[in-house]
Amino acid sequence: MSVTEYDIVIIGAGVGGLTAGALLAERGFKVALVTRGEPTACLSTGCIDVCSRDSKPLSGINDLPPTHPYHLVPEKIIREALNYFQAAMMDMGIPYAGTAEENRFTLSALGTLKTSCLVPSTMKEAPQDNKDSIHIITFKGLKDFYPGYIISRRKNTKSSMYDAGVYSTMSIASHFEEKEFFEKFITWLTRLEIQEDKIAFPAVLGLEAASEIVNTTSILMEKPVFEIPTIPPSMPGRRLFNALKGYFRKKGGTIYWSWPVAGIEKSGKIIEAVTTPSEGRPNSINARAFILSTGSFVGGGLTATREAVVENIFNLPVHVPGPRATWFDNDYFSLNHGIGRAGIIADSSLRPAGCPWENIFVCGGILADTEILKNGCGHGVALATAHLAAKSCAEYLSR
Amino acid sequence: MKYEHCIRCTICVENCPVLRVNPEFPGPKQAGQDAQRFRSDRERAEDGWVLLCSQCKRCEMACPCGVEPAQIILKEQQRYGKEHPQTPAHLLFANNYYLSALGSLTAPIANMIASTEMGKKAFRAMGISTYIPFPKFRFKTMRQEKKNINKGRKKVAFFYGCFINFYRPDIGRKIIRLLSSMNVDVVLPPQWCCGLPALGNGNIALAKYFAQKNASSLSNYIDAGYDIVYTCTSCGLCLMHDYPGILKIPQGKKIAENSYDVHEYIIKLINEEYVKPIFGKVSRKIAYHIPCHLRALGIGYPAAKLMAMIPDLKCEILDDACCGLSCSYGFKEKNESTAIQLGNRAVSLIKKTQMENIVADCGSCRMQLGGLSGMPALDPAEILCESLGITA
Repeated sequence: MSVTEYDIVIIGAGVGGLTAGALLAERGFKVALVTRGEPTACLSTGCIDVCSRDSKPLSGINDLPPTHPYHLVPEKIIREALNYFQAAMMDMGIPYAGTAEENRFTLSALGTLKTSCLVPSTMKEAPQDNKDSIHIITFKGLKDFYPGYIISRRKNTKSSMYDAGVYSTMSIASHFEEKEFFEKFITWLTRLEIQEDKIAFPAVLGLEAASEIVNTTSILMEKPVFEIPTIPPSMPGRRLFNALKGYFRKKGGTIYWSWPVAGIEKSGKIIEAVTTPSEGRPNSINARAFILSTGSFVGGGLTATREAVVENIFNLPVHVPGPRATWFDNDYFSLNHGIGRAGIIADSSLRPAGCPWENIFVCGGILADTEILKNGCGHGVALATAHLAAKSCAEYLSR
Repeated sequence: MKYEHCIRCTICVENCPVLRVNPEFPGPKQAGQDAQRFRSDRERAEDGWVLLCSQCKRCEMACPCGVEPAQIILKEQQRYGKEHPQTPAHLLFANNYYLSALGSLTAPIANMIASTEMGKKAFRAMGISTYIPFPKFRFKTMRQEKKNINKGRKKVAFFYGCFINFYRPDIGRKIIRLLSSMNVDVVLPPQWCCGLPALGNGNIALAKYFAQKNASSLSNYIDAGYDIVYTCTSCGLCLMHDYPGILKIPQGKKIAENSYDVHEYIIKLINEEYVKPIFGKVSRKIAYHIPCHLRALGIGYPAAKLMAMIPDLKCEILDDACCGLSCSYGFKEKNESTAIQLGNRAVSLIKKTQMENIVADCGSCRMQLGGLSGMPALDPAEILCESLGITA
């Protein structure tokens, strides 16, 4: 029994899935997105890393090994994808700074400079070298952020502590959106008479209205202000997810929450529907095409067993770099873990290789050979391949 | 219970509405899977703060690993409820069904008492909040409705729920006419409170008692070829998840297999080409607040699909905010501030859309949002009826 008929069902609510969904909904297709839970994008820093191996992201991409999925996407589409993303985020009230031409830095919670391409406007003022002096404001009882790490690494860095009366990232962020709290906080901040060039905060300056809060603080203090991304719960990641979700819905997409795909209905070379378990009737949603954007291991798209790596929805063939002994490097912090290359190999229209069905497209971190940590390309790959998958999918449906 | 599957990603924490405004509540991760590791049936339940969870299930919707924090907390709430004396407010709301039945029998007097300052003082003395007016009891409840004898092929047993029955039987009647207009034969099976209020107040024994009575009754109707249709999304969630789940009702699976949200059912009728309703214009601008428990049902937003077929209707969907009332949760004085803050946040998101009416499937969401915003709050079925020219 079908709930209703869609043109496209997207599996996975991450950066790739929501972007592909918005693009297709915008073109007039009926799009549903099903997801087991919220994506790893929520845990991310909210920054869009395109390729962090080079100071110029696009030339960095050229240097990637030939099997990297970026090489399936024409450069024009990569640029389009980044522009589209920036326009969409601007529309949703969380502007992003940066361009496809040049990478930039954000300050990490450990005091290092982290390379990224597009960063939330709240991190725009992060120092681009080790010269600026910084005053870090931290919050009493906030266990997820220690300014000491940064101070030990950077000269001319100081910190002060504010007692917000609440002690978790979520509560502090939500308090920042209250006028009274904010005014009291600004009074306290003014009294510090900060001498340093810039003021830094852990990323807790509001849930939705962060750009405004950072701007206002900066104007009132007459100094550049920026956020430092924290460990989860990560507010910039959540803002990114909320904005993408809102954008997808604005374009007319429908989201089914808590909808883990447990089965498929197929006929010949076509997948007809995906189903989810329930205590009662199994729910199913049928569509003419499917986009798989379930991410890799943490995202839930892939599972590693003793013997093999399995794709969880369609049981697609998974490319594994070699025998199990090669999956992990001896050095934990090395970026050369073979397992980072596991995933689905796709053709130039992002159809999975060796797949018996013709109406499936894949995008995002589930693709093989992305090596996201090594190449610093997580959300960038998701955006670029989402555009290509949406394009191929639209062409397939318009045949 | 899959608390070991938690990878500590804190996505549930980010989604908890209560945690945002009440620092006393440690959040779903800490109260659920983290604390669960230290709980044992051989030790007394000591975490009073588990009762601060409103059971909105947003954490369960968000978890990427299939851990069910709200379910873990719900079980602990039952254990705590069993081992500690119940406050008057908890007892009253667990027994909401009997309270409401009494209220309806004595409707004019009960309503008068509830609206006076004296009455409100008495409520507050019992720990019951009065920031929005208590809903008015109706003397003519659903149970006294005559059976509908429209001869149709599809047969439906309507589980209307306490809110419709005691406070808004007019909406219940509209839903019956709506289904009848689609050639569906509607009967009202013998039914009691679904059990969710008892569960929410830590009284699993009472919840089981209600659930078993309902299950026996509904099961007979299913055997006779009826589909079960519910309108309250919280009753629905209880039927679909808690009967076969925590309450372990033997007929639970059967009921879950045969129960439908009213709008889901209408879509089924349309998909099966059983009916082809012709929707007329409705010139309203509505903000459709999605109740948390509709999200948790995992059936998408069927009413939104139907309303999208109505010409002229402008509808914006809002599913990011919990209204805060969560059945009887917000009526308890210690949760009052949480409920008001969450409600105001939901209202401010609604006001941003510049829509004129609020629509929500859940009676308590409507009560909360209508009460705090002063905007009219309607049931989606009322919009459908307006579109199809059906009056109660």
